[in-house]
Amino acid sequence: MKESRLMLVQYVTAVAAVVLVSFHLVMQGVIYPYTTAISYDNILSVYRNGFYAIFLEALLVVVLVHGFNGVRIILQEIKQSKPWTTWVDVGTVVAIMITVAYGTRTLVLAVFGGSA
Amino acid sequence: MAVGERNAKNRRGIRAWLNPYHYNAERWAYFFQRVTGVAILAYVIGHLGDTSFFVGGPTGTGPSPSAWKFIGSIFENSFGHLILILVVLVLFFHGVNGVRLILAEFGLILQKPAAIEYPYRPKGLGISQKAIIYVGIAVAVAAAVWAFLVLFEGMG
Repeated sequence: MKESRLMLVQYVTAVAAVVLVSFHLVMQGVIYPYTTAISYDNILSVYRNGFYAIFLEALLVVVLVHGFNGVRIILQEIKQSKPWTTWVDVGTVVAIMITVAYGTRTLVLAVFGGSA
Repeated sequence: MAVGERNAKNRRGIRAWLNPYHYNAERWAYFFQRVTGVAILAYVIGHLGDTSFFVGGPTGTGPSPSAWKFIGSIFENSFGHLILILVVLVLFFHGVNGVRLILAEFGLILQKPAAIEYPYRPKGLGISQKAIIYVGIAVAVAAAVWAFLVLFEGMG
């Protein structure tokens, strides 16, 4: 993907992250008191609500794409060469895939997994 | 100066960030945008790890009240809350300053270029960018105070 397109991805995910993270913070300290928000029963009900589950997955993808693409931009600023660019780009994609997969696993197990 | 020598001088890499000599507000904002960005990503990765204990951690198979209680016993204390307050502080600065960067990227808060005169201040930056940086700092501090009240209110 062209660098200009990747910068556009960075800006779009930035705006999306501002909206989604703001909502996440409101959920953790405004709609519910913090101690209620992090209680087991409340989190289970949040994960098993379709709207919030989709919201959390969107938050996960947006924040990780923005974060790792940001690190990629920093690393590309530090050094410029063809192999470095390739390794950094590949590493970024791999890091996004692993972390999104791990976060999605938590969400999927919370929704569909049996209680321990 | 030879081309190679000139390129080497321009490629100071991360050392250039860490040299605050002749920094202005915009340059400090550039520095902190990157530092806070990396810090927030580190927190997010850690947060993925701690929230995974809701389903029993890396080897879990479903919601686990005991694993959630265990991870809560590690992070739900004054030190953990202090970390969260710092996260909120840098998150809000990063967000507001990020909006400034997007507006600048699309030319919405840039002033018209002008002739370069002593003392060679960058005239294209203007007052609006500095104002947003200071608003970002104020919003970040206010958000950190809010986080303090939210987190420590529940500890009593």
